[in-house]
Amino acid sequence: MKGDATPPTLAQSLRAAAATHAATRYVLRLYVTGSTPHSIRAISNIRKICEKYLEGRYDLEVVDISQHPSLAAGEQIIAAPTLIKKLPLPLRRFIGDMSQTDRILLGLGLREAAASTSPTGEA
Amino acid sequence: MLAKSSSFSALHEENAELRARLDEANEMLGAIRGGEVDALVVQSADGPKVYALQGQDAENNRFRGEMLAQVSDAVIAADSEERVIYLNLAAERLYGFDASEALGRPLSEIYQSRWPQLEDRAVAKTILDKCGEWRGECIHILRDGREMNVEAGAAVLRDTTGLSAGTLSVVRDVTGRKRHEDEVLVSEVRYRRLFEAARDGILILDPATGKIIDANPVVTQMLGCPDTRLVGKTLFEVGLLTDDGVGHDMVAELKRANQIRFENLPFESPSGRHHDVEFVANLYSENDRPVIQCNIRDITERRRSEEHVKLLMAEVNHRAKNMLAVVQAVAYQTAKFGDPATLADRLSGRIGALAAGQDLLVKSQWQGVEVADLITAQLAHFKDLMGARVLADGPPALLTAEAAQGIGMALHELATNAAKYGALSNSEGRVRIVWQIIDDPKPTFSISWLEEGGPRAEASGRRGFGQIVMGRMAEAAVQGVARITYGAGGLAWTLTAPLDDALATAKVGP
Repeated sequence: MKGDATPPTLAQSLRAAAATHAATRYVLRLYVTGSTPHSIRAISNIRKICEKYLEGRYDLEVVDISQHPSLAAGEQIIAAPTLIKKLPLPLRRFIGDMSQTDRILLGLGLREAAASTSPTGEA
Repeated sequence: MLAKSSSFSALHEENAELRARLDEANEMLGAIRGGEVDALVVQSADGPKVYALQGQDAENNRFRGEMLAQVSDAVIAADSEERVIYLNLAAERLYGFDASEALGRPLSEIYQSRWPQLEDRAVAKTILDKCGEWRGECIHILRDGREMNVEAGAAVLRDTTGLSAGTLSVVRDVTGRKRHEDEVLVSEVRYRRLFEAARDGILILDPATGKIIDANPVVTQMLGCPDTRLVGKTLFEVGLLTDDGVGHDMVAELKRANQIRFENLPFESPSGRHHDVEFVANLYSENDRPVIQCNIRDITERRRSEEHVKLLMAEVNHRAKNMLAVVQAVAYQTAKFGDPATLADRLSGRIGALAAGQDLLVKSQWQGVEVADLITAQLAHFKDLMGARVLADGPPALLTAEAAQGIGMALHELATNAAKYGALSNSEGRVRIVWQIIDDPKPTFSISWLEEGGPRAEASGRRGFGQIVMGRMAEAAVQGVARITYGAGGLAWTLTAPLDDALATAKVGP
């Protein structure tokens, strides 16, 4: 959309955004520590979000760093549970049990900032 | 970074990114402060180190996790929404999911359950809700469609307040065992059917005690009591052996030779009827446990049949010898008397007469020959005259084999003589063959050949073989008396004999 000679209409922009969203594949990685309460809830919550909003177009990998701490290297993991949105760019991180659905949706780019009560995350 | 941005748009994006990162950092700090994380990861020279924030609980969780990971049965935990929150290595292998893929998914995506009965699912859930645990068997259908028989135990997971927080299941694949059990069941049904449908009596004994363990219906019928009364008794006690010592000897011999056979064991049934039984005992091993199988066959009928066959063979042998002797005598006498030019014809005719009588005897299995049938067979050459010029009349009478042979030969000679010289040599003559049974003064059988309308009959000067057959041979066959008279219209022949010597029916009774 950037650099277009004629600015698109609002309807065109919305359609294009919807098409882009519908086609974008999400690659997510959730770092947990075994069966601890927050980790269990985080797994369940993010799976529900994916099934509802990203059905058929997501890859979710759950990584248990309590068994293999080395798997936390390279991703700048500071705490667990941590969800990382690897794709689509930009990379985003979410901490906690993923129970704040609106904030997660906003951060994943699945909800517009104006519609959200929380202004954090990528629009 | 702002100084390096070349356009307002780029500056805006970069600013947004920095704001997002800052928000992330703030969130992280807030989450750590707010107790929303379970562990912190600290980068060290040896790589990342994970520090649990729940202290002893975290350590206990880790310990439990490690223990469950070592369990060979599949362990799978689900939250109250039936989403997978834990699965051990065995569960990953069993269901073909790794933990990363399975965690958080609905349990129904890992496997589907199929229950033997429709209501079993509801029953299991009720038990689990009520008792907090359930154990049982069902079928898990994997995502590739394979079905797996499982033995499962499920327990309700409770949170610190005691409320249900999910379910922990321990699952064992028993498909192989189930298949084996099914095969054993099929085998048991199949061999039970053979055991019960067998025509032989079958008994299973314990070699240690010599007592009956199992008996099929044939044995119960043979011994006249239900199997429940046979089990626990010895062969002597149920009457199959007349001496208990024989039973002990049999077991000892079986242990030595593995098989024992009694070809002809006398046995008296509860009704008092005598039976001959064939008794075969074998020592087998059933799952390393020795058992004796006894097959008992009632051979009473077979033995009777064998005796009958033996008797028949002796009779056939005797008759064959007799017949050869008769043929030899006929051949000799035929050659001795009469024109040598006609020897072949005469001999052939006489042997044919013997054969006709023999055929009738074979048909009746040597039980005897009806007089009417004998006449028809011996006068086959004159069948066109039967009922017209040859009249036969008499009651049903079954001749003995010997009488049939003697009278048959005599009829042949009489017919041959009548055709050549007697009542059947012209166009008017007739023959009446009549036979009767006379009771008074003694039971007697008589048969007559009476010619009428033929040329005058006259006794020839010399006694030919035909006359020997009609006279001496016929008499010898029935222990009777033959009389030949020569009249104006032809020859008359009468043979009279005691009823018992002539007729087979007289011997066997009414």
